[in-house]
Amino acid sequence: MDFAYTLEQEALRSEVRQFISDNVTPEIIHEIEESGIRNRGPETRDLYKKIGDKGWIGISWPKEYGGQDGSRIDQYIIEEEFARIGITVGGAGSGAPAILAAGTEEQKKYFLPGLIKGEIVFALGFTEPQGGADLASLQCRAVRDGDDFVINGQKMYTTAAHYGTHVYLMARTDPEAPKHKGISIFLVPIDLPGITVRPLWTIQNEPTAPPRTTYGDRRTNETFFENVRIPASCMLGEENMGWYVGAMGLNLDRVGASRYLLSVQRDEDIVNWVKENDMDGYSPAEDPDVRDRLAELWIEAQVCRLMTMRSMSLVERGGTFTYEGSAEKVWSPEHGVRTTETIAQILGPYGQLLNGSEAAIEDGIFAHNLLGAFQSGINHGSVQVMRDQVARRGLGMPRG
Amino acid sequence: MDVLPGEEEQMVKNLAREFLEAECPPSLAREMEKDNLGYPPELWKKISDLGWFGMSLPETYGGQGLPLSYLGLISEELGRVIAPVPFHSTMVAALTIAADGTDQQKQSILPHISSGDMILTWAFQELNPKLNPESIRTTATETDGGYVLNGTKMFVDNYVAADKILITCRTSPATEISSGLSMFIIDTNLSGMVETPLVTIAKDKQSKVTFEGVKISKDDLIGELDQGWDIAVDMLDRGTALLCAQMVGAARKDIEIGIEYAKNRVAFGRPIGAFQSVQHMCADMTIWVDGAQMLTYEALWKMDEGIPASVDVSQAKAFCNDKCQAAVRSSQVLHGGMGFMMEFDLHLWYRRVCAWTMRLGTSFEHRARVSKALIEEPGRVRLGMNFSAVK
Repeated sequence: MDFAYTLEQEALRSEVRQFISDNVTPEIIHEIEESGIRNRGPETRDLYKKIGDKGWIGISWPKEYGGQDGSRIDQYIIEEEFARIGITVGGAGSGAPAILAAGTEEQKKYFLPGLIKGEIVFALGFTEPQGGADLASLQCRAVRDGDDFVINGQKMYTTAAHYGTHVYLMARTDPEAPKHKGISIFLVPIDLPGITVRPLWTIQNEPTAPPRTTYGDRRTNETFFENVRIPASCMLGEENMGWYVGAMGLNLDRVGASRYLLSVQRDEDIVNWVKENDMDGYSPAEDPDVRDRLAELWIEAQVCRLMTMRSMSLVERGGTFTYEGSAEKVWSPEHGVRTTETIAQILGPYGQLLNGSEAAIEDGIFAHNLLGAFQSGINHGSVQVMRDQVARRGLGMPRG
Repeated sequence: MDVLPGEEEQMVKNLAREFLEAECPPSLAREMEKDNLGYPPELWKKISDLGWFGMSLPETYGGQGLPLSYLGLISEELGRVIAPVPFHSTMVAALTIAADGTDQQKQSILPHISSGDMILTWAFQELNPKLNPESIRTTATETDGGYVLNGTKMFVDNYVAADKILITCRTSPATEISSGLSMFIIDTNLSGMVETPLVTIAKDKQSKVTFEGVKISKDDLIGELDQGWDIAVDMLDRGTALLCAQMVGAARKDIEIGIEYAKNRVAFGRPIGAFQSVQHMCADMTIWVDGAQMLTYEALWKMDEGIPASVDVSQAKAFCNDKCQAAVRSSQVLHGGMGFMMEFDLHLWYRRVCAWTMRLGTSFEHRARVSKALIEEPGRVRLGMNFSAVK
């Protein structure tokens, strides 16, 4: 066992932190949050170019698809440092692992470099109005018509659809087959005729929400498909095998730097706030109840960190997850919720003040988080479904 | 970085498991609850033949000089079979002698530990059971050529089996620069020592030991006079980390028994393990024990690397206390009435894990240490950072 990063890895981390403090201004973060991928401002483009010049993008991905054949851990370090300031960079994002595993050569050559550079972004088209956690019951139809498929249906919570480039779509291609066996995946350009994206505003829809507000997005979308015609070459993997292709992607999506930070960043924030502040004579840092809870949360957060390290260790060994990724997706989001709710009790009435309010603490970030912390236990596989997976895949328990 | 046990570590673990599964059935743990000594000397001899006692002791004194994490893996396997042997108490004292004893003390004790013909224990806690210097009231008063001990020690593990005891005493009032404590290693059969057994839920061997005018030699002092607290902190940290490993092993086996039971026990026309309510309990139990295990491994690893690890040890123990307890309780609950039956073995694990949550620091005490480090560490904190040494 070895819990340390190498000296080279530590040096890389310092270099990334220095780069961030030299190059990333609050204006850039704001620009990234506001503009989206399709209309990045000049400052954002310049930043991404500098990051690319550093060689910090796609380190662990194969060279032939725009990566560097390098270490997954180096990439993780870069992802983590950027994720701490709310910038997604370094890896390849949702959908890429499945494309690498199941895509045609042409798809890999087209999508992977774009995903790595952040020039291609997928909106995940999985959930539908009548089915979320029971994903396999989806009804969106893709019907073969010669060399094309024609898509009709509706997808919910397609979060990146208003700024992304494609929908990573799960659709039913064989309605007669058992539900898991009639699904295919398509990579659909978002600007095709017949696709309509409508905003869905969440309870985190506060215009004042500060950058770094995590757990859920202010805006998500519903996306409608009306006789959308796509060539069969948009299909990822084999026809009717989409369930298994999709599962590959999701499993790897549930772990990693951004998911980890989502769950633990407020632990660091509240401890640091408590160390440096008081409330007109009341010091939470000296309150034994507060101290006990802070320590408890901190210890739980360490377990989040160790679970992330375990996942990385497994990947580095070339192994696969049986239950470890699902376990992490239970423990970490639920921890994040406990933290957010405990912080409210530590801050008392100050914990409700949103950004912009008189007397708001830390730009109201703790209050904004409280509106959506529980969200991370729902998306990308709910904690209940994850527990099913731990029990059935990890422990070999029987199906009901 | 690779947080999973490496090839050699896994091999040590596997060999230990193979041996213990053959040699240490639950019936032995049950039998030893009624035994006066509390351990079977034949098993102790076999373990010494395997070289476990000297595993992390210095090679100069007959040991193998392996990292503490190896001893942790052995402790985990001993916990798994709830082995009724005075391993933990012997190791806690022996490792302290190895770290802080005089050459003469090491020479006269450590080879006997490796060969299995000496058993040790240690005594810190008193009537006020807090693990801090202020709670120590047992005094060691200087006399001609030695010291005289007076006071009471509580919760002394395996005292009846031990040949020697490592004891923390007050030798001076506390000052700004010294807590005034000193440590001594002495025989257990000296005149003036009186043992009273404590009856515990684990039915292990713990004692109250009183010292009335017990005369000891100057040569029994470990380390510098009045500098015993620093030694005690290291001793308690090592002991706590090894106990965590033992708890993790026991809790893991306990939940495996529960999960297996759930797969086979049929009610309402199906195995109860097919119900989601039961599956989700089992998932949580697994997640908890995994977390306890990783925190424990990290603490042991840091000690081996010479990185201050007190905070990591406290993180592990607070989490083990709460989550291993919850895991073994859930396993009891899964068994329904069966788990409550004396004839069914599950309670052997449950009672021990419960007892160990109270040994070497409660959750409150360990979280207080963690929060103190968080609040007092200069500058901003970050997960994964190393904290300054706690003294």
